[in-house]
Amino acid sequence: MAVCIAVIAKENYPLYIRSTPTENELKFHYMVHTSLDVVDEKISAMGKALVDQRELYLGLLYPTEDYKLCRYGYVTNSKVKFVMVVDSSNTALRDNEIRSMFRKLHNSYTDVMCNPFYNPGDRIQSRAFDNMVTSMMIQVC
Amino acid sequence: MSVPDYMQCAEDHQTLLVVVQPVGIVSEENFFRIYKRICSVSQISVRDSQRVLYIRYRHHYPPENNEWGDFQTHRKVVGLITITDCFSAKDWPQTFEKFHVQKEIYGSTLYDSRLFVFGLQGEIVEQPRTDVAFYPNYEDCQTVEKRIEDFIESLFIVLESKRLDRATDKSGDKIPLLCVPFEKKDFVGLDTDSRHYKKRCQGRMRKHVGDLCLQAGMLQDSLVHYHMSVELLRSVNDFLWLGAALEGLCSASVIYHYPGGTGGKSGARRFQGSTLPAEAANRHRPGALTTNGINPDTSTEIGRAKNCLSPEDIIDKYKEAISYYSKYKNAGVIELEACIKAVRVLAIQKRSMEASEFLQNAVYINLRQLSEEEKIQRYSILSELYELIGFHRKSAFFKRVAAMQCVAPSIAEPGWRACYKLLLETLPGYSLSLDPKDFSRGTHRGWAAVQMRLLHELVYASRRMGNPALSVRHLSFLLQTMLDFLSDQEKKDVAQSLENYTSKCPGTMEPIALPGGLTLPPVPFTKLPIVRHVKLLNLPASLRPHKMKSLLGQNVSTKSPFIYSPIIAHNRGEERNKKIDFQWVQGDVCEVQLMVYNPMPFELRVENMGLLTSGVEFESLPAALSLPAESGLYPVTLVGVPQTTGTITVNGYHTTVFGVFSDCLLDNLPGIKTSGSTVEVIPALPRLQISTSLPRSAHSLQPSSGDEISTNVSVQLYNGESQQLIIKLENIGMEPLEKLEVTSKVLTTKDGISVSGFPLSSPFRQVVRPRVEGKPVNPPESNKAGDYSHVKTLEAVLNFKYSGGPGHTEGYYRNLSLGLHVEVEPSVFFTRVSTLPATSTRQCHLLLDVFNSTEHELTVSTRSSEALILHAGECQRMAIQVDKFNFESFPESPGEKGQFANPKQLEEERREARGLEIHSKLGICWRIPSLKRSGEASVEGLLNQLVLEHLQLAPLQWDVLVDGQPCDREAVAACQVGDPVRLEVRLTNRSPRSVGPFALTVVPFQDHQNGVHNYDLHDTVSFVGSSTFYLDAVQPSGQSACLGALLFLYTGDFFLHIRFHEDSTSKELPPSWFCLPSVHVCALEAQA
Repeated sequence: MAVCIAVIAKENYPLYIRSTPTENELKFHYMVHTSLDVVDEKISAMGKALVDQRELYLGLLYPTEDYKLCRYGYVTNSKVKFVMVVDSSNTALRDNEIRSMFRKLHNSYTDVMCNPFYNPGDRIQSRAFDNMVTSMMIQVC
Repeated sequence: MSVPDYMQCAEDHQTLLVVVQPVGIVSEENFFRIYKRICSVSQISVRDSQRVLYIRYRHHYPPENNEWGDFQTHRKVVGLITITDCFSAKDWPQTFEKFHVQKEIYGSTLYDSRLFVFGLQGEIVEQPRTDVAFYPNYEDCQTVEKRIEDFIESLFIVLESKRLDRATDKSGDKIPLLCVPFEKKDFVGLDTDSRHYKKRCQGRMRKHVGDLCLQAGMLQDSLVHYHMSVELLRSVNDFLWLGAALEGLCSASVIYHYPGGTGGKSGARRFQGSTLPAEAANRHRPGALTTNGINPDTSTEIGRAKNCLSPEDIIDKYKEAISYYSKYKNAGVIELEACIKAVRVLAIQKRSMEASEFLQNAVYINLRQLSEEEKIQRYSILSELYELIGFHRKSAFFKRVAAMQCVAPSIAEPGWRACYKLLLETLPGYSLSLDPKDFSRGTHRGWAAVQMRLLHELVYASRRMGNPALSVRHLSFLLQTMLDFLSDQEKKDVAQSLENYTSKCPGTMEPIALPGGLTLPPVPFTKLPIVRHVKLLNLPASLRPHKMKSLLGQNVSTKSPFIYSPIIAHNRGEERNKKIDFQWVQGDVCEVQLMVYNPMPFELRVENMGLLTSGVEFESLPAALSLPAESGLYPVTLVGVPQTTGTITVNGYHTTVFGVFSDCLLDNLPGIKTSGSTVEVIPALPRLQISTSLPRSAHSLQPSSGDEISTNVSVQLYNGESQQLIIKLENIGMEPLEKLEVTSKVLTTKDGISVSGFPLSSPFRQVVRPRVEGKPVNPPESNKAGDYSHVKTLEAVLNFKYSGGPGHTEGYYRNLSLGLHVEVEPSVFFTRVSTLPATSTRQCHLLLDVFNSTEHELTVSTRSSEALILHAGECQRMAIQVDKFNFESFPESPGEKGQFANPKQLEEERREARGLEIHSKLGICWRIPSLKRSGEASVEGLLNQLVLEHLQLAPLQWDVLVDGQPCDREAVAACQVGDPVRLEVRLTNRSPRSVGPFALTVVPFQDHQNGVHNYDLHDTVSFVGSSTFYLDAVQPSGQSACLGALLFLYTGDFFLHIRFHEDSTSKELPPSWFCLPSVHVCALEAQA
């Protein structure tokens, strides 16, 4: 039910973006790109509190824009952002479910970073990460 | 009401709306000149500066919006100013009529109106009128502002009277029900006497009074009225008006909290235009009035803090108001405007997240079907608002949507210019700068997918707006900066379309200035192709300039009094770090090698690729190249000719790719390797071209030779064969050749190979004019090898050192080397040499065993003998009669050298000289008829001491004369019996010392031809005088003779043996020196 999953670098460029193949890919690029405004806003608003509480989940970014797609955000301690676009038309997801999905994503991303051949800042091309994202996108649909 | 005013802000609630409109034909320019002046009067203090009136001017206002004037009084047009041209009194009534018609449009709500007439003069002007002002022209109208102020004063009077009228109207009089246009039909037939209805009327009226108070500058009163209104309306669930009351409350509170205004620029300007900004600000601060003590009513002072909303409450109330508005479909515009106002307030409060929620809501408010223009306006405003709250990406997104809207297919005349302008404004939102320099460092940072999309749109928009130069620039930028993100197909497509564009408008290196003040910097294609390595190349060895040593020494001595100074050496070392340690020559083609590769998936054609240099006038000779798809590193050589001297720096290169000119500077290229880019250019030198009569060969000399050889000649010869080589030197440069030095060097001679003809006679000088046909320098070539069997090689180098022109005066020269490579195959050689004495003491026979080692039949001939035919591999003996040699007579060549050489060498040289002499005397030649080749054969190497001695003429020359006739073995001297025969022995001393004295005895004998010599001839031969002769000592090159006589008594053949006395022969002299010819005398019968 996730229709688009993106990993965004600290400098706000995509490290990884994957969307359901049926839809216009560029649309999701725009969608994720514009969500960064809110992510930035939330990060700067939370400031120190974020670090103290270790709360990485940013919650809903834009609730009810076109096509009933909700975007959720998550930011790691190294300011790498995860943005997930979720189709809320058929199933309303509980916050906890989204949280666990992000946690899974974060773990997988950590595995990618542990790869000594991966250069931080490059596009993610790990197959394991790809499979995990695929599983998350199919999961509920 | 259907036309939203996207510029609305909370402060607008306190303004009076005045519409300024032209009547008749007024030029836009003139109208806006006056309009601007009118607008400057936006704030008026009335009633002794206690209250301030704010005016909002509009030159266009839809009358239907005016119908909502009761709902929110700032929407009501209360003043009308019309501007008109009128040049004759005749037109005046008509003009005035038009003014009245105009007034009718807003008639129901107008408090007052004015007409400004320009151009009219005469008696009409003289009539004093309050509602009309006359001005002779648009320049001469200084009183406009004053007129407006008066006008506003009059508006205030009406407003104040209305306010007081409504505010005090608390009696039992029936309060009319205010309503919005769409409500009117709902109230038909409603019970007007019910409590509910009355409360509704009261609530709405309170709200209305609140609006009037706010407009009249009585903020506190308005707050009170709004609060009361909210209470009343809440109780009767009159949601639309409850919303309006809440919004009024918010507006008043915003005005109180944020005296600077929330409307951004317009607010600030209004504040600036204020005549009393300080007081205006103070007026809103709690406590300001108490300190002044102006306001006598303290009760309002107490209520102030209570009535005014806190900043947080403002937002809550806005939310509430908007939720009420949203219940009514017809109030969409009101809701939308309320959202915008709230966003502006939140922007001031820096609460971006909540602001974005309001905006989000605004996006979804569906008004009626919007026209395309309205859509553009709507998206632009959304973009601006997002920008305001710091959501740059979202702002860019909406701006782009607005841009796309400008050229929507449904629009008959797409506004490509507007679209382009809007797209440009989105650039910062997508963190895209159009300066390629920002991309040259490090990896690409940014959202490539959206950036690429935007660039594509820019390209398309600029093309459609008919500016191909712009599209080329944008497309170049796209290709240059996004290359890593383009797929192969996209690369092809982009390149293809770029070529299409440039066919009409080639890409340049000029920055393009846009009307908006933005400048598009040029985009050099540093990635097409990618240059990895730049290396300046030295000139080819034959053209490399060398510094003359002697002159260098002079230079140093002129610079410094010291022969050696470590400081100078140190400085040089530093210089060398920057500079490359070779020189280029003015006027000569110089080369720079680039290692490039093509990142494109197709063949890349790079045209007009040349060097960019500084420091020296440089004529670049551009090259065109074609790089295969995804090529690896590919060497490219760029050439050019320096026209002046000095220090040249290679700064970069220029290319034309897909029709775009690029100047790529090396400094800006990432990851490039260079080995220095500065080199010295020395003055012009002549340039020699060498050509030889023999074909050039690819065979190069051994690398150990040290010199770099520019030309090589290779030839295969049989041992002893001669080959003439003609070398032609041609000066193909522009400078005259002033000096030419020729030297030669034999590199390798293996055992047994001897070379003749080298070195050239002597170094010589010759002046050659430029372009004159070169002169044949004569040739050094004939090699003789005396080795057997296998092929031998011989290598030699001819050096031509030359100089001329300005380079010569600077002390430079060039060196041209010609390498010679000779393969020597064996021809004939002699397996054995021996001698046989000949009949004459002056001659002897040389016996040679000749072996033909070639695979061909050859003939061997000497000067004197017949040709001898030898088959391949055959060996034959040949005898040659030769005169003996007088080696002593040779000058000791080379004499000068001999003094220094040791005796062994001296002996060696002497032997060599003898060999040469013998060789030339013999003149042994061979010829291979089948190949038509011929050569000489030499015996030199084979001559041993014994043979040499045999061949050598004794230094003491003995001549025996019989009857005055020289006598040798062959010749028979005839004499008559009984006649005395005179015998003379002559000695010529050719040795370097004096010899003698000698004693000689003549012994006659008869040869019986059977091996018996009869010496007993006392009876037949008688001596006249002594049989012993004496010779005195003979000095070197002296001559001596002794005479005697013989008398033959009988006929017969007699031989005379002349013998030396044992004691007289010097022991130290070799016996061969005393070799006298024997004399053969034939005594004949005396003639009767």
